Amino acid sequence: MPIPLTVLDDRRQARDDRGAMTPPTEDIREKVFELEARGEWIVQRVPDPWLPVTTKYGRTKKIPIEKSWHHKSCGQCGHIPGYSTSIFWLHRKLGLDYNDPKDQTSCTAWNYYASATSNVGAQAAVAMRNFGAAYESGYFPQIHCGTSYGHYKEVREQLVEHADLRDEVRRICDKLGKPFVMPEEIVHYSEWVYAMRDEFARRKVLDLSSIDVTVHPACHYHKLVVEDAIYDPDVYGGQRTAVVSAVVTALGANVKDYSTWFDCCGFGFRHILVQRDFTRSFATLRKIEVMREEANPDVVLTHDTGCVTTLDQSQFAARAHDRKVGVPVMSEAQFSALAMGAHPYRVAQLHWHNTEYRPLLEKMGIDWRERWREFEDDLERLKKGEAEFMTWEDADA
Amino acid sequence: MPETVLVIGGGPAGLETARAVADIGARAILVERRAILGGTPDEADYAALTPHMGSAQDALDVLRAGVARPEVEVRLETTVTACRGTVGDFTLTLAGPGGEEEVGVGAIVVATGFSHFDPGRETQMYGYYEHADVITLPDAEKMLKEHRFVRPSTGEPPRNVAFIQCVGSRDRRLGNEYCSKVCCGVASKEAIEIGRLLPDAKVYIFYIDMRMYGYWENQIYWPAQEEYNVNYIRGIVTEIVAKDGRLLMKGEDTTMGRPLEVLMDVIVLSVGMEPSRGTREIAGVLGIEPNKYGFIHTPGEPMDPVSTSVPGIFVAGAAAGPKDLEDTIGMAGSAAVRAVRSIRGVTPTGAGAAS
Amino acid sequence: MTLQARYEDVPLDTKERLFDEVRADIRFKDYLFGCYECGICVAACPSARFYDFSPRKIAQAAARQDLPMFYEQLNDDIWNCSQCFSCLRCPRGNNPGGLITIMREVAINNGLTSARQALEGYGRVVYKIMSTGTQVSPDMLQPNAFPDWGPHVQEISENLELWRRALPPDTMHTTSTAWYVDDKTLTELYLIWHMTGVMDMIKEVDAGLHMILTDVMEELLEEAGYSAD
Repeated sequence: MPIPLTVLDDRRQARDDRGAMTPPTEDIREKVFELEARGEWIVQRVPDPWLPVTTKYGRTKKIPIEKSWHHKSCGQCGHIPGYSTSIFWLHRKLGLDYNDPKDQTSCTAWNYYASATSNVGAQAAVAMRNFGAAYESGYFPQIHCGTSYGHYKEVREQLVEHADLRDEVRRICDKLGKPFVMPEEIVHYSEWVYAMRDEFARRKVLDLSSIDVTVHPACHYHKLVVEDAIYDPDVYGGQRTAVVSAVVTALGANVKDYSTWFDCCGFGFRHILVQRDFTRSFATLRKIEVMREEANPDVVLTHDTGCVTTLDQSQFAARAHDRKVGVPVMSEAQFSALAMGAHPYRVAQLHWHNTEYRPLLEKMGIDWRERWREFEDDLERLKKGEAEFMTWEDADA
Repeated sequence: MPETVLVIGGGPAGLETARAVADIGARAILVERRAILGGTPDEADYAALTPHMGSAQDALDVLRAGVARPEVEVRLETTVTACRGTVGDFTLTLAGPGGEEEVGVGAIVVATGFSHFDPGRETQMYGYYEHADVITLPDAEKMLKEHRFVRPSTGEPPRNVAFIQCVGSRDRRLGNEYCSKVCCGVASKEAIEIGRLLPDAKVYIFYIDMRMYGYWENQIYWPAQEEYNVNYIRGIVTEIVAKDGRLLMKGEDTTMGRPLEVLMDVIVLSVGMEPSRGTREIAGVLGIEPNKYGFIHTPGEPMDPVSTSVPGIFVAGAAAGPKDLEDTIGMAGSAAVRAVRSIRGVTPTGAGAAS
Repeated sequence: MTLQARYEDVPLDTKERLFDEVRADIRFKDYLFGCYECGICVAACPSARFYDFSPRKIAQAAARQDLPMFYEQLNDDIWNCSQCFSCLRCPRGNNPGGLITIMREVAINNGLTSARQALEGYGRVVYKIMSTGTQVSPDMLQPNAFPDWGPHVQEISENLELWRRALPPDTMHTTSTAWYVDDKTLTELYLIWHMTGVMDMIKEVDAGLHMILTDVMEELLEEAGYSAD
């Protein structure tokens, strides 16, 4: 009996005929503005120009194109510096003005979810202090880490909901001399990459049509405060968060599916530091092995610090147990940068990554041996004292 | 001049109301937006009715025959677009194939029914728009009406089938905080029908609670388990993904207290009821209050389940919320009597007076 | 009422006091509605596949106010949660992961041995985040800290200082912090820890760590003109 290929198309058509339904949840941004009207805080507006994206229930979210205050990630800057470097490089490549602050603390949520050695007041105060610092600089926060982003969305809900908490945190901000500010939108850098993906595609210099990619969506990006995450009707029919998958497609690479797509990577916050058997077991058995078996990808792309760390670092121990692993892992920011001709070592800083990535670079058409020689020359110059640091000009030389 | 009642909607509720209005000596104008009477059971190709397994089309034919009489004026492909006036003297604008026209009636009965929940909006990851073999209860009805049940992706009969209950109902995140009443019975009925067509297939129903009101317990639930070996597993499924050409479902077997993952050939989503587009629109047109779910609000409950917030306007069937067929037929009779009485100006005494 | 006889020696009013502390948290009402035991949370939970752990039972014990079961979970279960919040798929709107966050805070504030044990070896991370304002730093990439990550970590630690200078962003030429944090920013962070009671919490968990942190913070706070409140 012939396979009726129109089943899914017919369903999608019937769905469109129904028309839009009202979103089931309240829009917290309305409450944020109400509180401003009551004089409770300042709302930092999204600067023009901005791009609209759709979130889970069809609402529009504003993503500013430039004037970003880069809220950096501890794990990225600390252990995977190519990740943050690539995010900055993408902004620079497009000639966009940004601020990379020293007046920024960690969101402290990794520690909070790991050890709970904090409390709701401290967490909210840290968030608002950072938002206040951004506001003072005149630039709009762009959050690099998925956990910071999810955590700040939670903090926003808690502050909107509880007047006592607001009062406590406002007192603290007053004492610190920081303005009490809530941004109009809480924006994750991957939402910016998604909004700008056509710009990146236009500037692509590599042919990625033979690169198979599996995407891992970060739990904290889409599971915390579910209504505020990007869902694109053109990607998976709006049934799964679209942020990274859409970028991969725009760059011309192939997104491959696997049956543990929605599973956590196993980072565990505390587990990856002091109970690592859980993390590496979960990452290997539930994610990497399944990806290899079902999709056989050339690379795993994700959009969060913890996920890159977990999936990249867990594979070594698994090899000792003859598990089927060995897939390189990086962020979509690094991948996009490479696609636009960024240096794999000066910019993507792949030498900090653990799982073998060189076959991937070859397949992408990058001569990693030559690039590594160039980088070793850079290192020599630094060692000899001819320069103190690598600069952005060096990175693109 | 006999009393005239406008009945909006030509499904079971509307058909029964119009017939009842005629039976007690009044006139009915029956307005239906489609080109054929029968409502959702017709549009969605229902096969057998729960619990007695009678043919849905036969039941609809009886209802259709009931309005084939001079006291009922049937207007197909027609909708109501405007309304003014009060009980005893309403003027409505009807838009139909001949253009727009105004009619004067004494009372109105809303019978605009429900829609099946769109599983794409579901909180859990069921992938209805990604996997052809994930289907809904109405999709299954269509196949069962043709006396077959196959995997849409291959056209072959499945070796195993799972039903997932409460899809789009009982969910605070969606806002549908109610139970849709009939899905447990309908799923069990379909499980029995599949068992008859495919005796070797294993059928599972994953549930939170089994809603088997009154006689359904012994008419549907016990036979499903005892005669057809349907496996009822307590624990709802959260994800459906594709694996090895089949569907992998992830749930918890709460009886055993551990996660379960199992491969299925076909998964049927027991989708609940939501107000139809017609129901949502008519509330605004007539100026009657909807409840927070968009169904028509019935302030006189429990003793008066058919009066709306406006005197002279009544509701019958699933336009008021999740109802089974017996509820619907019962409401239709009650709505017909109260509608006619409201025109005759007789004030009802006793509890639930909707003056 | 529990069929297992764990922690029978702990008096019931201790358990009740701890439960009341959890219930008094401002977030409790946002995190627990009713539970109809659908099991979606367990189906989605990574820890449920590796440990004898059930977010459904966490929600149930809290909803039933089952003090013996709650106390067992407070000691044996809450540190197995990976805080991924997959359990937020709950159709009732419950947040078992969030309940666990609150329970962890209560365990720490009350100096439970199980909490201290769970955080053994973790002290260096708390020190890093609280004193430097960044959670992990390049110089934490040492083979003895991450032996299962392989010899690659050794290579990194040997080249650390040089490789960090070979980074274009100028805020990242650091080894003991993830990025440069201004002293003023650090002062503000220290004030937050003091004003919100976090320093008192640390004292319960690790008195030695608390002493070191106090020393480190006092210097900067005094320079800025504050006395540790």
